[in-house]
Amino acid sequence: MLDVIRLSKSFPLAKPRRSKRAPVPARDPREDGRTFHAVRDVSFAAPAGAIVGLLGPNGAGKTTLLRVLSTALRPSSGTASFDGTDIVKDPLAVRRTLGFLSGNTGLYGRLTPREMLTYFGRLHGVGDEALRARIDDLVELMGMRDFLDRRNDTLSAGMKQKVSIARTLVHDPSIVVFDEPTTGLDVAAAETILRLVERCRDQGKTVLLSTHHMHEVARVCDHVVIIHQGELRFTGTVAEMQQAGGSEALDLALLTIVGEVTDA
Amino acid sequence: MRSGAFTVFRKELLEVSRDRRTLFFMIAMPLLLIPLLIQITTDFMIDAEEEAASATLDYAIFGGEALPELGPAFGQTPGFSAVELGSPDEIAAAVADDRIDLALVVVPPEQEGGQHVVELHYNNAPLSSKVEPRTQEVLDGLGRDLRRARLDALGVRDVSLQQGVAEPVVMVPRGTAPMREVLGERIGGMLPYMFIIFCFLGAMYPAIDLAAGEKERGTLETLLLVPIPRYQVVLGKFGVVFIAGVVAALLTLVGLGGWLAFRGSELGGDIGAVMSAIGPVDLVLIAAMLVPTAAIFASLLLAISIYAKSFKEAQSYIAPLNMLVVLPAFLSMLPGVELDWKTASIPIANISLAIKELIKGTMDYSMMVAILGSSTLLAAALLWAATWWFGRESVLFRQ
Repeated sequence: MLDVIRLSKSFPLAKPRRSKRAPVPARDPREDGRTFHAVRDVSFAAPAGAIVGLLGPNGAGKTTLLRVLSTALRPSSGTASFDGTDIVKDPLAVRRTLGFLSGNTGLYGRLTPREMLTYFGRLHGVGDEALRARIDDLVELMGMRDFLDRRNDTLSAGMKQKVSIARTLVHDPSIVVFDEPTTGLDVAAAETILRLVERCRDQGKTVLLSTHHMHEVARVCDHVVIIHQGELRFTGTVAEMQQAGGSEALDLALLTIVGEVTDA
Repeated sequence: MRSGAFTVFRKELLEVSRDRRTLFFMIAMPLLLIPLLIQITTDFMIDAEEEAASATLDYAIFGGEALPELGPAFGQTPGFSAVELGSPDEIAAAVADDRIDLALVVVPPEQEGGQHVVELHYNNAPLSSKVEPRTQEVLDGLGRDLRRARLDALGVRDVSLQQGVAEPVVMVPRGTAPMREVLGERIGGMLPYMFIIFCFLGAMYPAIDLAAGEKERGTLETLLLVPIPRYQVVLGKFGVVFIAGVVAALLTLVGLGGWLAFRGSELGGDIGAVMSAIGPVDLVLIAAMLVPTAAIFASLLLAISIYAKSFKEAQSYIAPLNMLVVLPAFLSMLPGVELDWKTASIPIANISLAIKELIKGTMDYSMMVAILGSSTLLAAALLWAATWWFGRESVLFRQ
């Protein structure tokens, strides 16, 4: 169970973008002097055993929000908790229960998948015996036996994606965050990811999925959270999103909700 | 429970040991390439010296009638060959065109029996030129013969008396410094310079790979989400970069020592004697000086590298740092720069000068303890700063 409570994240801007002489361009409403409010006052909940889709246009603040929830960044204000564990007060405990997979996550090229899984398993405090068993399970599940001891930099894109997935799950997290995990993947690799997302839900994990692909939302998401310009614009089920957006087509519904649809 | 820092260290060590570029800078270059380069350079220098010493020198003489013995003196000396030249005005052009190696212009004495001045015209630019000493040798012989003949004519026939008349006072220098100190002063500055440079180079690629490389590969974010404090991540990475620097410096020591042991005699027997005078305690102390050096480099390089977004950007930041390392290390090679409390306060320069003192066998051990202590403190402060730096969001997620 994930509870996000009035979460905000701001960054200092390197220099003010306004000039006294030049004509003032349309400013991003998230800029405030020398501060950029990437995420503002966002609250929502994600229940266990459900997939929550995090939607929004590019630059909406989704990645920043996920980085804060995963404890890579500290919130400027507000907080969130995973199964009651606060991300600000005890980030290490949160990380023990969290799996994070992003579309641009890389691998250590000079390590083998086995070495990489062992490394992350140990860093998550998994004991040697349990780790061996866990790696065996994941290898069978993902069909990684043939390339388990080959160096990562010799693997195909699909094989690398499998290694990334196994790395995400090696410590059996109860909450899994996917940040645009299918970006740049072919149909087969994307299907592998979606099956994994569904499998996580079936195992009772809390799943947060950030994506631009509405067919993925339609297929796997139970709930939807829409972010635009750092603010929460909608939270509800997929059916409620269609209703709020006035369209069966999720992409049109999304654009209506964020105010970017034009009457053609 | 296994330490997170040790897990990171072990993984980074495994990865670095599979990186050819790191292995080249850490092992192959100090151990093989440096001795090879020194051997090639030495061979080249020796060949150039031998060639300069044995090559036939073409010469022309002007005003020889004022000193008739000059022509025969050169004509009878092997390695000299007379060349006809029209006039003294052609000398510079003839030397430049390699038609002659030297020209001698005799300025006659103002009165009978006075001193002849012989001007030597030659190309004095090449460092390896032997024209001046070889000509001086012939002229010295001629001068001795003429002096003997003139003293004979004056009735001074006894050889020792002749020497007393010609040079009533002669200075014979007798240095009291041991040969180790003398040669240590001359070549001792080069060795710490090389140790320090290779220590830096050995640590450089692992540092870039372990920090900026993580960002470039997209693995940093995953690493930041593991449930260990970030200082443990830094410590694990620091350990590997530090070891790479120490190994590179020690292998430079081994490579140079090995070369000097086997081939150093080619530079003159004294160098071999100096090297053998450096005992195991000195070697351990030299190695001890390199430990905080490697720690300083590892902390600095990691801090710079984690700021960079890519391998290439890290290299561009580290290039100026290279100069900051080279200049203080170079101080030990400058004549007149000695280790004192003032130079002992300059980081890196103090290490370089202290190693030179150890090679010379003239180390003030109280100063060495102070340098080791201050360098270790500096390394600890830099490691703390690198850890703090590593925890900053603006560094880790720099746009």
